[in-house]
Amino acid sequence: MPSKTSESTADIIATAREQDRTILSEVEAKQLLAEAGVPVVEARLAKDRDEAVAIAGELGFPAALKIVSPQITHKSDIGGVKLGLADADEVAAAYDAIIKAAKAADASAKIEGVSVQRMADAGIEVIVGMTTDAQFGPVLMFGLGGVMVEVLKDVAFRVVPITERDAGDMIREIQGFPVLEGHRGADPADIAALQDLLVTLSSFIEAHAEIAELDLNPVFAYADGAVAVDARIVLRSPQDGTTSADGA
Amino acid sequence: MPDPTANLARTLKPKTIVVVGDKRANGYMWLRNNAEFTGDLYSVQVDPTEIPAIEEMGVKNFTSLADVPGEIDYVLCAVPRQIAPRIIADCAARGAAGVSLFTSGFAETGEEEGSALQAEIGNIAREAGLALIGPNCMGLYNAKLGVRQSGEQLTGAAGPVGFISQSGTHAINFSLTGAAQGVRISTSVSCGNAEVLDVPDYLDYLTDDADTSVIAMYVEGTKNGRRLVESLQRAAAKKPVVVWKGGVTEAGARATQSHTGSLATSNHVWDAVVRQAGAITTESLDDTVDALKALLLCKPTTGAGMGLLAMTGGQSVVITDAFVRAGLDVPLLTEASYKELASFFNIIGGSYRNPLDIGGTIGFGGQQEQLQRLLDILDADDNIDALAIELASGFMARRWQADPSSLDSLLDQLVAQRDRSAKPLVTILHPGHVEEIAAQARARVVERGLPVFHSFERAAAALSKAVAYWRSRDAASAT
Repeated sequence: MPSKTSESTADIIATAREQDRTILSEVEAKQLLAEAGVPVVEARLAKDRDEAVAIAGELGFPAALKIVSPQITHKSDIGGVKLGLADADEVAAAYDAIIKAAKAADASAKIEGVSVQRMADAGIEVIVGMTTDAQFGPVLMFGLGGVMVEVLKDVAFRVVPITERDAGDMIREIQGFPVLEGHRGADPADIAALQDLLVTLSSFIEAHAEIAELDLNPVFAYADGAVAVDARIVLRSPQDGTTSADGA
Repeated sequence: MPDPTANLARTLKPKTIVVVGDKRANGYMWLRNNAEFTGDLYSVQVDPTEIPAIEEMGVKNFTSLADVPGEIDYVLCAVPRQIAPRIIADCAARGAAGVSLFTSGFAETGEEEGSALQAEIGNIAREAGLALIGPNCMGLYNAKLGVRQSGEQLTGAAGPVGFISQSGTHAINFSLTGAAQGVRISTSVSCGNAEVLDVPDYLDYLTDDADTSVIAMYVEGTKNGRRLVESLQRAAAKKPVVVWKGGVTEAGARATQSHTGSLATSNHVWDAVVRQAGAITTESLDDTVDALKALLLCKPTTGAGMGLLAMTGGQSVVITDAFVRAGLDVPLLTEASYKELASFFNIIGGSYRNPLDIGGTIGFGGQQEQLQRLLDILDADDNIDALAIELASGFMARRWQADPSSLDSLLDQLVAQRDRSAKPLVTILHPGHVEEIAAQARARVVERGLPVFHSFERAAAALSKAVAYWRSRDAASAT
């Protein structure tokens, strides 16, 4: 599902390098992932109010808007995120509110615009991520989202590249696996889709040594399919192969 | 550049050993450790005050490696660190296959001089293709050849366990604790600072070593994680591999900007690596020895259905708790089994639902034909994959002491059962209040090659790890 503004992966990374950034915007990260075949909720960059309304109309309601600025990493803390926007009027008002809040929070921040996406249907929240281990290099992580990951750190790791079997083992290894199997009569999650997502992500990471860290948080797992709702990619800093210390 | 691993086989199975720099101050420990070496043992020592005592031990001494006759397979170097580069250069010039450096004071000190010296000896060895082990290590143990890291270690009777250790102490302790419980070593390497040869090099060797059927290791970290993963994967596909990971080596000040990065502690990742490779993780010396007993002395099983035999009601309950907590199953038996059990089982003070509370039925070991019926029923029962039986030291120790044949005939019966059955069988003999008698009894179990554990919990944990290994290997070969 590459959007009409699609740049190639190499272009996106080159642009970030030119601008001396190691963190890709959500829009950029999702374009990269979509190109690699990882299912994401499409997000497009709107540079003004009218564009935001037009994109929301195209992608459908309810819509979600988020500030896009390299300087603003904790988007929701400053009022840079508006969710559940039911129609064009609400999108227009949300656009203005976000830009105003961003300027109030950091007058010097460079504001690229606002990302617009359709709100994904609720699913079982999982987290999928990748980091670079000092001894073993890129490792993938899988866990249930929310409290399971925050408090219980109920996550499983594997070294990249992973096989389909490794992906299945990661999913079944977490303590919270019964939640995915359909707890208390809920629909079971599509394990095969999660497995595919992990294996595809592994190939993507293997092909891009310049990526240092990645979070898909959350991914919504459905009875049929799974989709990354938010995405974050951190590039290796070009000089020394480690991530820079700016940002979060 | 020549490949030092090409010389590893000759180094690990030497025909000639030269000890360089052994001295009175350390009790001539290296010459004594290797006094039972089956090949030729020589000494190189230039200090005239040391030479007479060395020659009194019946060891021919030379003042230079160059003078030692014939091929040199393994040099044990115990000289001060400043002299080490010269000796390593001598080894290279003399065409020795390998050398281990007991000498310490290298990179492990974290200071500049030690690190520079280590790099220097490393470069000499790499250029010559010399298999350099260490520095800062206890070298090799090969029981069959009489090459030892410590004079406490057994010679002669070797076993099938290959061991790699980043700690000399753990290499020695493992060999001693293991041997006392029936887990004996083929080759053990204490690899110290691993300047030239690292854990994956030894692992690759042991994977292909015909004398080694199970591999265990103690590791604290690795310089090349990707290579270790590949070596582990290759090894675990061929033989059981047990990884005892020591130390919580946090990534520390590593900058991370992702949620994933903050969750990926080094031990979490290590566990994942070991599991992904199809190997088994352990957390202590006892844990490691136990896992090896289950992998080495038990028939392989991918099934988790336990048939549990305890002597009393209380023990039946807690043996079940232990195995269930370890993730194994204690299933109901088949109808056919229950029918047969009902025909003779003494249910006054006993029960047979599984666990089987059998003390009354078998006269606490006195009625062996009854025990045989029980063993045969469990052996034939499709719901049961493995058996665990309590050797009730609490009640029986005094009788075993008074009448040793009472234990011997019971153990002979269990050995026969093990030999005829495809299902693994483990025994549990708790030290209880009779530690000394229990230890003697345990030695008799060990000498029969039966796996014996100190507690239900330890038996259950070990068997659970073995099942995990065989399952993983099964799944890997199916894909």
